[in-house]
Amino acid sequence: MAATIHPDKILREMSDLWVSLSKDSSAETAAGVLRACSMTLIVVAEEGADTMQIGETLAALMTEHPSRAIVIRLDPSSDRPLGARVFAQCWRPFGQRRQICCEQIEITGPEAALADVPAVVLPLVAADLPVILWCRSARVFAVPAFTQLAALAHKLVLDSAHFKDSVDILERMAGALQHGGQVGDFSWTRLTRWREWISQTFENRAYLARLPRISHIRITHPQNAVPISAWYLGAWLTERLAKVGSKPQISLAPVSGTGFGICGLELRAEGASPLAVSMTAGPGTIAEIRVDGVTSCTALPESTDYLLMREELSITGHDPVFEAVLPAALALAKQGAR
Amino acid sequence: MIPENPFQDPLRFERRLPECAVVIFGANGDLTKRKLLPALYRLAYERRLPEGCALLGISRTPMSDDQFRAKMREAVSEFLEESPFDENVWNTFAQGLFYLAGDVNNPEVYRNLASRLSEIENTRHTGGNVLFYLSTQPSQYQAAAKGIGQVGLAKVNGAGWRRLVVEKPFGHDLESAQVLSQKLHEVFDETEVYRIDHYLGKETVQNILAFRFGNGIFEPLWNRRYVNHVQITAAESIGVEGRGAYYQEAGALRDMIQNHLLQVMATIAMEPSATFRPDSVRDERAKLLRSIRTLKPDEVLQNAVSGQYGPARIGGERVPGFREEEGTDPDTQTDTYAAVTFFVENWRWAGVPFYLRSGKRLPKRVSEIAIQFNDAPLAIFNGAGSDTAPNLLIVRIQPEEGISLKFLSKRPGSGMHLRPVSMDFNYGSSFGVRSPSAYETLLLDAISGDATLYTRQDMVEASWAAVEPILEVWKNTKFDFPNYAAGTWGPKAADDMLARRGHAWRKP
Repeated sequence: MAATIHPDKILREMSDLWVSLSKDSSAETAAGVLRACSMTLIVVAEEGADTMQIGETLAALMTEHPSRAIVIRLDPSSDRPLGARVFAQCWRPFGQRRQICCEQIEITGPEAALADVPAVVLPLVAADLPVILWCRSARVFAVPAFTQLAALAHKLVLDSAHFKDSVDILERMAGALQHGGQVGDFSWTRLTRWREWISQTFENRAYLARLPRISHIRITHPQNAVPISAWYLGAWLTERLAKVGSKPQISLAPVSGTGFGICGLELRAEGASPLAVSMTAGPGTIAEIRVDGVTSCTALPESTDYLLMREELSITGHDPVFEAVLPAALALAKQGAR
Repeated sequence: MIPENPFQDPLRFERRLPECAVVIFGANGDLTKRKLLPALYRLAYERRLPEGCALLGISRTPMSDDQFRAKMREAVSEFLEESPFDENVWNTFAQGLFYLAGDVNNPEVYRNLASRLSEIENTRHTGGNVLFYLSTQPSQYQAAAKGIGQVGLAKVNGAGWRRLVVEKPFGHDLESAQVLSQKLHEVFDETEVYRIDHYLGKETVQNILAFRFGNGIFEPLWNRRYVNHVQITAAESIGVEGRGAYYQEAGALRDMIQNHLLQVMATIAMEPSATFRPDSVRDERAKLLRSIRTLKPDEVLQNAVSGQYGPARIGGERVPGFREEEGTDPDTQTDTYAAVTFFVENWRWAGVPFYLRSGKRLPKRVSEIAIQFNDAPLAIFNGAGSDTAPNLLIVRIQPEEGISLKFLSKRPGSGMHLRPVSMDFNYGSSFGVRSPSAYETLLLDAISGDATLYTRQDMVEASWAAVEPILEVWKNTKFDFPNYAAGTWGPKAADDMLARRGHAWRKP
């Protein structure tokens, strides 16, 4: 199927959009509009699946990561030709008259036309700035033509929790890394608060001294099928503890609950000076922490798409910790699958 | 041997901090309630404070730990800005709050302090790390430092560190600043003394370093060849707000220019630092401050303007003059406004005036730096209908942190008519995340041992040396005060000071 939209036309429409925004704003407030762009963010999603949510997430991201957003919505059952529209996401910072605006381009069409999309997108990316591709559909990811679109991006972000075959998606991501690409996975991003808490706990030198004797790790998760987050967490702990000479036994266990993440984590050191450290996700956004018998609470913000993407967008280069953990998680998942 | 923490991930985690005990002298004071506790709570809310951190407040008022916690809870919920108050986070944070009643001048309070710190270390595992924070009257600094030293708390036995944070003023002149440093050094090494200047903790002031030394395009213009002059303004719309008695002893030159504005000037004008290590950056700041030309007595009145606000009506309301404020002397000669022209004697800045001004009861609250560049060497567009305006780079410190570049652009349409336009970078909109308060930044830095944004002894002395000749002349001059009405941009003499060099103050 041939492309029925022309990048030149979209670029012209964008240019016209800025002129009209400027005129509207001048008439209204005489303060003008400010154009902000620090990257191109390409979002690939299935038509109709979460239109509203994507819009809200992008609007929230714009204030911190202003970007030229290109949202590609693909419909598996449609035979409509490709279409495009251009609009602006604008906001007025509190107490200010001037609006800040970011460009947004929406491309819609049949999934079968995905092969035509990269040629349309290539001229639309903002020059000299990073290109981030956020794939929200496991099905589109599996379409062979997706690799051409991925080739345009400096970094690919996805949520492996939506993929049925954990080993397959881990293998594909590891393959992308081996070819020099950058990858972000929400299943890993969801673990940041957990990992940060573990790191903070062992900032205490009394606990740090007992770290080489950690012998048991127990990770609980909400589903019978082990979520990829659990493989990541297990791999990260194993890989990091190996650096201090510890080779703990890891067990993963399902508990009641829902979601893609982790329900709880326990680390134990036995012997003359034992240590028990645990963190359990509680109701709402609070987690209960027990360290050496002392209980406390900490905030564990809900992992919304906005928060996860915000964290990923703040890392536009290589992420050495994730890149070391990904192959180890793949190895663990393969063992688990057997 | 204890290993390094293998779990660190600096790319994704906030900066890690060691466990420590923070001891605040003057825990019942305004600064503690309005700034320090909200900043520490906010750090706890963002999980940037380790679980084991403890805070021990000291003041004269008798109180139990629980009463202190209740009082601080009230203060945090009242003064917390741009953040929600979370009961659960507070409850965990409050477990680490302790209180000790006692007078800073009484040796017994230090023996009790040693005993409480030992208990806290055992229960909270603070690793022997203690940050002493002097939030008391400046007259008590020496007594507090001496008391800490006498019970051996200034030195560590084994692991850990000891640091002392001191609030301004660091003396009231060069000599008293030197005496204060000398007294502090009898107990603490200079590397353990953190003199806090909250201006340096502001995001935009830190961003000056990023702007200047992270970009290649500005530094070539940053010198006498391209810069015409620099204006640094810190204006307040309010008066002394009940602090008349204190302010009468200080004045605008001592209270603002000697510390905050000279530090900002040093940041704007310093040479590039070889590394971003604390002493490397502070060396450059100190070098710049030492390069400020000292005014001779007969140059002072031409280059420094003292002002005091008189009564006025603002918005239909009568605003009292400074001499009518509570606690002030009706004949006081205190400056509520000060403007100074400084020159930096180095190759980069020779001949470029740095105009610094600060005042109370000015038309608005604004702090900013304006760097005015030289005009184009040939004005070929000076025909009818063209505006002329200098190129200005404006670094806004408060209230809206950001950077603007003003330049001329062709007005659309036929003819070559120019008009000034502004290219703005706004912290609030460009980065939608909440900026940490200056105290959050500076407390984090002190706990992690980063003194980059703290003032060193030589910097304090160099800035006193720059303003002392002015103070001397002003002390012996009888000014005809009040010389500006509340709600205006200061005395006419300040305008004249710039006009003599063909310049004019910006009206931000």
